[in-house]
Amino acid sequence: MKHRSWLDRALHRGRLYDEFSDEIRAHLDEKTDELIARGMSPRDARDAARRAFGNVTAIEERGREVWQWPTLESILLDVRYALRQMRRTPALSAIVVLTLAIGIAATTTVFSWARSVLLDPLPGAGDASRIYALETTTSSGGWTPTSWLDYRDFRKYLKSFDGLAAAYPTALTLGEDENTVRAWGELVSANFFDVLRVRPAFGGLFPSSSDEAEGAQPAVVISYELWQRRWHGDSTIVGRVVHINRFPFTVAGVAPAAFHGSMPGQQIDIWVPAAMLGQIVPTGSWWLRDRGTRTFRVFARLKPNVSFPVAREEVERFTAYMASVNGGASKGMGGRLMPVWQSHWGMQDALRSPLLVLLAACGLVLLIVCANAANLLLARAITRARELSMRLALGAPRRRLLRQLLTEASLLAVFGAALGLFAAIWMSRSLHSLIPSFSSASLLDPHLDGGVLAFTALLAVGATLLAGIAPALHGSRSALAENFTAGTRGGSIGQVTATRTRRLLVIAEMALAVVSLVGAGLFYETFRNTRSVSPGFDADSVGMTAVRTTLAGFDSARAEQFLDDVADRIRSSPGVTSAAYTDHVPLSVGSGSWENLDVEGYAPAPNENMKLFRELISPDYFKTLRIPIVAGRDFTSGDDSSSTHVMIVNEAFVHHFLNGRAALGVRVKGWGRWFTIIGVVKDAKFYRVTDPPTPYFYVPAKQVYRPEQGYTFLARASGSVDALVLTMQRELHAADAAVPAYNAMPLATYIEGPLQSQHVATQLLALLAVIASILAAIGLYGVITYTMTQRTKELGVRIALGAQAIDVARIVAAQAGGLLVAGLLVGLAASVVVARVLASMLFLAGGGVTVFAAAAVAMLVIAALATGVPTRRAIGLDPVTALRAE
Amino acid sequence: MPDPKSRDLFPGALEMMVLRLLKQRPLHGYALVQRIQDASNNLLQVEEGSLYPALQRLLKDGLVDAEWGVSSTNRRVRVYRITRAGTKHLGQETSSFARMLEGINLVMALGSET
Repeated sequence: MKHRSWLDRALHRGRLYDEFSDEIRAHLDEKTDELIARGMSPRDARDAARRAFGNVTAIEERGREVWQWPTLESILLDVRYALRQMRRTPALSAIVVLTLAIGIAATTTVFSWARSVLLDPLPGAGDASRIYALETTTSSGGWTPTSWLDYRDFRKYLKSFDGLAAAYPTALTLGEDENTVRAWGELVSANFFDVLRVRPAFGGLFPSSSDEAEGAQPAVVISYELWQRRWHGDSTIVGRVVHINRFPFTVAGVAPAAFHGSMPGQQIDIWVPAAMLGQIVPTGSWWLRDRGTRTFRVFARLKPNVSFPVAREEVERFTAYMASVNGGASKGMGGRLMPVWQSHWGMQDALRSPLLVLLAACGLVLLIVCANAANLLLARAITRARELSMRLALGAPRRRLLRQLLTEASLLAVFGAALGLFAAIWMSRSLHSLIPSFSSASLLDPHLDGGVLAFTALLAVGATLLAGIAPALHGSRSALAENFTAGTRGGSIGQVTATRTRRLLVIAEMALAVVSLVGAGLFYETFRNTRSVSPGFDADSVGMTAVRTTLAGFDSARAEQFLDDVADRIRSSPGVTSAAYTDHVPLSVGSGSWENLDVEGYAPAPNENMKLFRELISPDYFKTLRIPIVAGRDFTSGDDSSSTHVMIVNEAFVHHFLNGRAALGVRVKGWGRWFTIIGVVKDAKFYRVTDPPTPYFYVPAKQVYRPEQGYTFLARASGSVDALVLTMQRELHAADAAVPAYNAMPLATYIEGPLQSQHVATQLLALLAVIASILAAIGLYGVITYTMTQRTKELGVRIALGAQAIDVARIVAAQAGGLLVAGLLVGLAASVVVARVLASMLFLAGGGVTVFAAAAVAMLVIAALATGVPTRRAIGLDPVTALRAE
Repeated sequence: MPDPKSRDLFPGALEMMVLRLLKQRPLHGYALVQRIQDASNNLLQVEEGSLYPALQRLLKDGLVDAEWGVSSTNRRVRVYRITRAGTKHLGQETSSFARMLEGINLVMALGSET
């Protein structure tokens, strides 16, 4: 035979192997013949020849290995064998692949979403992990924004940071006269883009001197989106003059598309130097010179060699020092450094808790997926224990078997992960439909996160591999002979251990499923209860539309006139029964503004927080919202700056501060003036509908006018609320076309907004709970089916001896019942702990007992369904076939 | 089965012997086994089967060639023949083996004196 090339060999390996086998056969024949010739019987001769030769299979294997590329070829062989194995158990393989896919997809989707909100709150910023938020804290432990003067001191004296930036987000009017739009903007320190490491997509940024001279830098940076939307990406934009709040600014450049500003969840379109505050808010230029006026959000970039705790310590020390030297304005104030995702601005503050719960739920599902894969693979391993023992006995090296099993597990994992990837892409798209419509796209754009996907896939694949090779490790412990002689009942020690492991896995799966069911149930209950709580006012048939008088460049007198004018116009429109305006719509995101009060005759407890939330309102506010006045009178148009200062308080206020005294006539000090209580109203919810009654007060907007606040008109009409909203917008436009309106919608729609994130979270939790339950059902089904298969012979005997269907069903039920009870007990116990941990986020009647009961019943039903099929199969067993099995 | 210890040849020993025998004349597998046992006075109880993977290795490395032919007992057998590379390889192996043996002998002789 000619010496073969490697290519020739590779192509004709099959023939090579055949020749090798032929050769061995020829050897044995020749030896046998020779022994016969020496006088042995043919049978003895053949045996003797084989003995002398050794293990034919092993030698053939060794001979072939000579020709194989040790890795690639045998891996291909393994893959082919593994595919054959998968085809042989299609249901099991499909289930493993599907559950892996579901687990990977679901967790990736939620993780990606959570990550973009919690872990990447400043998209577009460079090296964002070094950026922290610096918040000012109040004596009562709350937080507030930071004043410009404090910020300048932070920047000057703090040593831990490469740079500190400040930003004050506010609504702005863009354009001139009729052609105005409202946009969100930020007044920022000149180094804002430097500290966040944002490079312009086009043009330039602010000169570093713009912090110094007030009003001297009329420059603006616009967002990429605004540039595209309003100027269609016009390249001559730089240097152009645009009007912001009726003041001309020159466009310096365009921010990159990924950058949405410093408010997580808010699309910021315009950045203006903070030194231009006086031009943006005509009444507010003094803000920059007043330490007590806190409007800025501060970001700090940590120096590379400084750790977070060190920086935090410096901030706390320095702010304590500032509180001691700056007297009145800073008394009792402090400062706190925190990761941006923990800071209190933006939608993330409302979404943080639901997202953390979702993340935990995802973790649960992922755990169940892994347990399930392990469970099913272990089941298959047990049925294959004999095959593996056989192959070991025939001389296959253990290393080889391990690789074989690993290949099989990897194949399943790879299919699962691939399917999971597609499902994740699909899910992240469909998630858009769940997203609350009021929120900006940037926050809730659940783009698929490659890193997260890789992490989840790795976890699931890792678990599968572990489960896959378990039997191989297992096999090394179990004695060969035992597996050979073991009958159908699996008598070997290895199998008993494996069965126990599987039962524990199923119990764990069911317990985790119970936890996720209870969790979803508790949040659903909370959501339902929250919606059913009366807010203390009647939002139905009320329309709203908001304005910012400062945006129009009005001074105080003109603004007051304008507000009254619009309210009158709306009130006199057909169908409108009452109209009013307020500076804070109850149940908005955020709790509004507060004032530090002194109540005549009330001695505050030490450290008592006397900062009370309040509303600045017009007459007819209570009538419009149908909040009952229980004592005294409403404000009238006569309660203006020239008359006695008056106040209306709620019942909780009377209860807390006046303790049974008559409220009317009591004097309260705020804004440095004394107000007289002229009315008491019923409690209404102003922050969250789930809050307990809280002291609250109202003063006439005409007596305490805050021009920088936006004002919202509220009106009640007998007809359609949508028509009412249109009417309100029309009247506003008629009063002054240049004042842009926003938040024009029915009040009921508006106050539902904050509930939306809860709603989304609840839906996602429900989805995860369903997935968890399905997985647990599959696990239970797998174990029961397998146990029944093992007991086929026994069942056959019983049926042959006259056992009825009910008896067989009882055997199966006993199997499933034990697992179910254990799973339920563990799950419910764990749920109690979970419910306690989540208590602050829940709003339940009766501790959610009904939820626990419902979850238990659901699990029972799921278990019944999962055992139904194996039971029917066991009952329908033909005793003859059963006994012949094996 | 033979006592496992008696077939504990050092790696490459079997191949070296095969090449040595094939250098005399081409042989098929069974004849090679017979020749090894005869020539070694049955001191080397080679498991017959283990010869074949060794032959495959030699074949793969191009040290021997094989061709199907007919044996003296009129059987279809694969006859192996040493190649030029095989001859060269045998030379190297033989001398290195001789050196190794010499070394072992020296050490063993030392042992017998004490």
